[in-house]
Amino acid sequence: MQSTHPEATGVLAALSDELAGAAERAGRAVVAIHARRRIPASGVLWRPGVVVATHHTLEREEDLRVTLADGRSATAQLAGRDPATDLAVLRLEGDAAALPAAETADAGALRVGQLVLALGRPWEGGVTASLGVVSALAGEWRTGLGGRIDRLIRLDLSVRDGFSGGPLVDTQGRVLGINTSALARAAALTIPTATVERIAEQLLRSGRVARGFLGIATQPVRLPAALTQALGLTQEVGLLVVGVEPGGPAERAGLLLGDVLVSFAGTAVGEPAELAAQLGGERVGTAAELRLVRAGQVQALSVTIGERPRGRGR
Amino acid sequence: MSVGSAERGPRAGAQLADALGQVSATLRRSTVQLRERGRGAGAGVIWRDDGVVVTNAHVVAGAEAEVELWDGRRLPGRVVLRDPRRDLAVLVLDTGPLPAARIGSAAALRPGELVLALGNPLGWAGALALGVVHATEPPSEMGTATPRWVRADIRLAPGNSGGPLADAHGRVVGVNTLVVNGLGYAVPSEAVEHLLRRGVPATGHGGEWGRAA
Repeated sequence: MQSTHPEATGVLAALSDELAGAAERAGRAVVAIHARRRIPASGVLWRPGVVVATHHTLEREEDLRVTLADGRSATAQLAGRDPATDLAVLRLEGDAAALPAAETADAGALRVGQLVLALGRPWEGGVTASLGVVSALAGEWRTGLGGRIDRLIRLDLSVRDGFSGGPLVDTQGRVLGINTSALARAAALTIPTATVERIAEQLLRSGRVARGFLGIATQPVRLPAALTQALGLTQEVGLLVVGVEPGGPAERAGLLLGDVLVSFAGTAVGEPAELAAQLGGERVGTAAELRLVRAGQVQALSVTIGERPRGRGR
Repeated sequence: MSVGSAERGPRAGAQLADALGQVSATLRRSTVQLRERGRGAGAGVIWRDDGVVVTNAHVVAGAEAEVELWDGRRLPGRVVLRDPRRDLAVLVLDTGPLPAARIGSAAALRPGELVLALGNPLGWAGALALGVVHATEPPSEMGTATPRWVRADIRLAPGNSGGPLADAHGRVVGVNTLVVNGLGYAVPSEAVEHLLRRGVPATGHGGEWGRAA
């Protein structure tokens, strides 16, 4: 009878073993978080006693229970959540705090085409695995809510239950980030290790991620060519101020409804996202120059950047 | 030696491609197409070399089906065992020795392990799919070491039903049966062995194994 020669197929079996080994090793740090109705959400034991998950898969903040890789159950407290990067951090209570955490690695070495596994634990049972490749890589980017993600990592693999909040794992079983299907439409993305570290640090320290706040609503408007020429502006689009929060930083600086913002701290702004990108947490409390067009003239105002209140957009 | 280091060698990719080709070619010879009058083709696995073919019960509703082998031969198959609960059926072919699949164990599978499926998805006869084991069940769910299903992250379609799901060695670990939320569900090979222990009428081409053990 026909049979496959073991030596010839050994390379396939070796790859299979390596993938299963990677899933097993990394899977020891993958937990199930009981925080929503239908199925548990995946999370990763990132440091001893600290679980990182995705913000959008946690439907409640209290009465959190976590099923660990060995089947044991532990209670957990929410340390904080950051909708802008879709990350949340939990602290485990009791004995579970002593369990070893995932072996993480910098996602900077990833290459397009590299084989990767997405792990999850969307049930009380074992870890789940999906195989795919890194589909696209790019540099730092901003989410729709202004969260700064250190590297764009797009995956080509099937998004299953438990994908979000689970780890992206290389063939050696190292965790390269936290997966999410919520940050881009119809795309499976990974929040890289560096971003997870940075956000988790802030959430553990203060329970929140500080973001700059001006207290305005804007929309893009095209600037008439005659105006840009007369004022020596190089951009064609500015941000029309359509709302000013009473008592907010922008109002205190003298900004008025109907002003058209053209730059913030020396950077031209033509899209709300470009403005949001300027409002990182490190800017809170500092002053910045706003340049705007008012009554056909360019004016400059100095604004002291506030901190975005909890539960608010920009 | 780990594949991680082999990957850096110039020929690792070619070796991997060769290996995949060999495993799937062997598996293809043990995979059949099954047709009933007026219905599309399902798949089946040549489980024993004396003409015992395993498929899904939902692929063969009647007592007989036409079985097309990898080489194009078409033979009449007779349904001799049926387990609607596990969606399994066993047919016998009256023919000489056939290239039986190697049978593996679903209980030994680990998440992340490579798996291959062969069948006739949407009518593409002998088409291969590659994926990984998605989940193995917790022992508590069954009370035994055998999982109820092998869940695979693999792209299956109608026509894969009854066909083999195999591990990286080409050993059949399950019979592809369902697609749920995009995941392939296969009946474990252990369940097939369990059914076969009920006994299959002797075909005259094999040994004594067909009697209930």
